This record gives sequence, structure tokens and C-alpha cells, in this order.
Amino acid sequence: MRAIRFSFIHMLRFVRKDMMLLAAGLSPFLIGIAMHLGIPFIDRQLTLFTGLQNVMVPYFGLFDILYTAITPVMFCFVAAMVMLEEHDDHIDRYLFITELGRGGYFVSRLMIPGIIAFLVTLILLPIFGLSKLSAVDILFLSLTGTLQGIVITLLVVSLSTNKLEGMALTKMSSLIMLGAIAPYFIPRPYGYLLSFMPSFWTGMMITENSPMFVIPAIIVSAVWMYILWKRFETKIR
Amino acid sequence: MIQVKNLTFSYTKKPFIQDMNFEVEEGEIFGFLGPSGAGKSTLQKILLGMLPGYQGSAVVGGVECSKHDAEFYQDIGVDFEYSTMYEKLTAKENLEFFSSLYDTSGKTDGAQGGKKKRDLDELFAAVGLENDAEKRVSDYSKGMKSRLNFIKALVHEPKLLFLDEPTSGLDPANSRLMKDMILEEKRKGKTILLTTHNMQDAAELCDRVAFIVGGQIYALDTPHNLIMSKGAAKVTYTWLDDEMIEHSASCDLLELSQDKRLKNLIAENRLQSIHSSEPTLNDIFIEITGRTLV
Repeated sequence: MRAIRFSFIHMLRFVRKDMMLLAAGLSPFLIGIAMHLGIPFIDRQLTLFTGLQNVMVPYFGLFDILYTAITPVMFCFVAAMVMLEEHDDHIDRYLFITELGRGGYFVSRLMIPGIIAFLVTLILLPIFGLSKLSAVDILFLSLTGTLQGIVITLLVVSLSTNKLEGMALTKMSSLIMLGAIAPYFIPRPYGYLLSFMPSFWTGMMITENSPMFVIPAIIVSAVWMYILWKRFETKIR
Repeated sequence: MIQVKNLTFSYTKKPFIQDMNFEVEEGEIFGFLGPSGAGKSTLQKILLGMLPGYQGSAVVGGVECSKHDAEFYQDIGVDFEYSTMYEKLTAKENLEFFSSLYDTSGKTDGAQGGKKKRDLDELFAAVGLENDAEKRVSDYSKGMKSRLNFIKALVHEPKLLFLDEPTSGLDPANSRLMKDMILEEKRKGKTILLTTHNMQDAAELCDRVAFIVGGQIYALDTPHNLIMSKGAAKVTYTWLDDEMIEHSASCDLLELSQDKRLKNLIAENRLQSIHSSEPTLNDIFIEITGRTLV
């Protein structure tokens, strides 16, 4: 535990020295403020210009889903960039042969940031959320968002060979979040084409108002994690 | 300290390490010599517990390498050939971090007792980096990084050191300094596994060496025995004939007394020069393995 604690603290110090990563880590707060104030403002302006009522209100749930996805993605993006830099500099392999070990390394770089992302989402969503969500919804949205963040981290670190590629891949892999749009805009059964994305099931959870959809969201995330983990293990061997 | 029995490992279907057997005693400097792709790094990875899917047995410090826990690394220090430092951090920040990963509260310093962890300032001074400790690693030269990498392996006072080309990229003065530090660690009782292409370093530092080619050990002995078993020392001498033209000849040291020409030249006091020469470890490596160390 001692090595894991020091390894995680070291990552935080490392992030503090990198302005881009620091900004990414703080972005959920800024995005939350922008969303909480900006979207209702835009909705009012649209009502004013078009004369239509509640133009964006039906989609407030979708904004909340995307927000619960963005917070873990940003936290996990920071962890992924640190991991890629450590891979570029051969540091990860060295850390595996210290008392930290391979398992400790992934706990300090993936699990702890994931847990923190989950807790931060759990706190920020009731503050910045736009729709009326139950406690169960908030809990499950935070959970599925965090799992998705870990999937994106694994996707980035297992497929990219350096930090530069990782940054480009993060942008692309964030498209996984867009699965949440399908239940809102794509009629079924065509929407199920995006069912391989964990976010699709999160969207279903809100549109169908059924927490049971958290189960397929967890299963799909777990399959992604297993496949990407195997690939990452091969990469670092 | 290390026992390897019938070790076989493969990345693909074709065996890469084949039926390897050797032991390394505590306090010994043991050298792995071989060309690139010979299997030295793979062997090192197996012994470090990084490649658990091997057949046979590889025991380090009483622990089977495929079944180790995190404590296994408490007594192992590794100096890779390449830098393994955070380039954006200072050298001291790097060592402080890596040092923090080891729990040495249970280690005692012999009769004196108490915690045992190397003083970082002393380590920096030992390799001549005392004035560069606060510099970012990205500002270090290759030689400075090599020295920093080496002391990083010592911060937690391990019993077993894996050194991969420790003198690579160093100027002669720093290479000497590094070799003296390695010998000092041996004097303190550490077991050292040295992987190198440099036969001179191996001959100077190692108690025993193993020649590895194609994942197999071709020879294993002390550098002296290897040299003596495969190539006798030769004696070469020169003399002038009546027309003042220089000639040379040579014979094995063991057959010196049977060389009539040499006897006559000595009797006639006509020798211009005489010297003996032994084959180098490199010559022996080529003779045994049929390969050069490239």
C-alpha cells in the first residue's frame, strides 16, 4: 500500500508540473459551471427567438449523461498521458520491478484515478446536473461514466505507441461517449447498432427510465476492458 | 543466490531460451556475455519475474521467479542500459521517488541496527553528480544518465544487482569510477549479474562468465580458466640475420624449452625482442561460439 500511495502522490506532483494535464484535471469543474449556466441560458434564448417552449429541456438528461462521461474521461486522460510518458521513457517497466509491482502500478494509475473520478462525478452531478435525477440515477451514471473513462484510458494506452499518438487517439476514442445519443435520436432497432458502446446503455437507462440498463452497460464495459487489458499486457511485455 | 535448472522459454513456438542451467553464488559477480539477440535480456526478464511463462525452474533468493510477490523486489536493484528516469524532474526528485517505493523499515544495518537506505547525497557524490542533483534529467548527458541510472539501483540497498552494460557511453575516467563502484558493492557482499558486450569489463569484473548464443550457454567458467583452457600463451621473438634483416617466430609457452632456434639465439645473444601473449576473452568467445559480440 505504501508504494501505491507514493506512486499516486508522485503522479499528482507530476501533473502539477504539466499545465496541459493540470488544465485537463480541472476541466470537469469548468465544464460543469459552463453547462449549468450556459445550457439553460441557450434554451431561454432559443425560446425567445423561436417562440417555441423548452427547446432543449427534453435533452437535459443527455447533457447530464455526457457530463458524467466527461469527468472520468478527463481524469483518466490525465492518467493515460502520464502512463504513456512513463512508457516512452521506459519508466513503467522499471516500476514493475520495484515493490510497486505491475499490479500496484495499475492500481495507482487506473483504479485510484477511477475511484476519484467516480466520487467527483457523484459530487458534481447533483451540483451541475440539469435534469431531475434520482439518487440511483446519479449513482449509476457516475459508475458507468467511470467505467467508460477506464475503457478510454485502456484504449489509449494499449493502441498508441507514444504520448503524441495518445493525444490524437483520446480525441477519437471519446467518440465512444456518443453512443448515448442513439436512444434519443435513432429509432430502434437501428439504434442497437451502437449497443457495443457502454454509453448506449447509459442513454437507454435515462430515456427508458430504467436503472436495469446499468447491467448491460457494466457487461459491455467489462468486455472492452478485458480485450484492451490483454492487448496492453502484450504491449508492455 | 540464483539457481536456474532446465530453463526453457519461448515467445513463439520456437524455443528462445533452451535448457539453460547455472547457479550464481552469493557475493559473486556473474557475467552474461553474448551478441545482440542471444537471449541475455530475456534471461534477465525471467530472473526479474517479468516473464512468468517459462518451463523449468528459475529461483532467485529462494523464490521461484514466476511466483513472486512485491517483496521479491525489496532486495533487487536493476540498472537497465537505457535511462529509466522522469526527464522533466530533477535527478534528486527522481531518486527520492524511486527510493520511496521501497519499504526498508524492516531492514537492519548489521550490528548498528536501524533503518537501511542509502544517503542520496552520498550516492550523487560517489558518481561525481553532487553538483547536478538539482538539474532536470533532460539536461543530463548520456554519461551522466548512465551514472544516475546506476545509483538509482542502489538507493534501497539491494542484495542482488542486475547491471546491463553499466559502462556503456562512459568516458574512460567515469568507466573506471563505475567499475570501482561495482567492485566496492561486491566487497559489501552484493551479488551482481552483469550483462555486457565489453569483454575487457567482463574479464576485469566477473568472477565467472557465461557465453550465451542462440538462447544456450556455450561455456561457463572463470575468465582466467576460459582463456587458459582454450588457448595457451604464446611466446614471440625476433632476431636479425647476417644481412641485418629482422625475422620473427613464435611457439607455445609450454613448448618453449623444445624450441632449438630460440635456444641458439639466446646462446648467441642475437635476440632482438621476446614477449609472451595470451588470447583475450573475446578470442575465446569467437573460438567457442563461432560468433562475434556484435
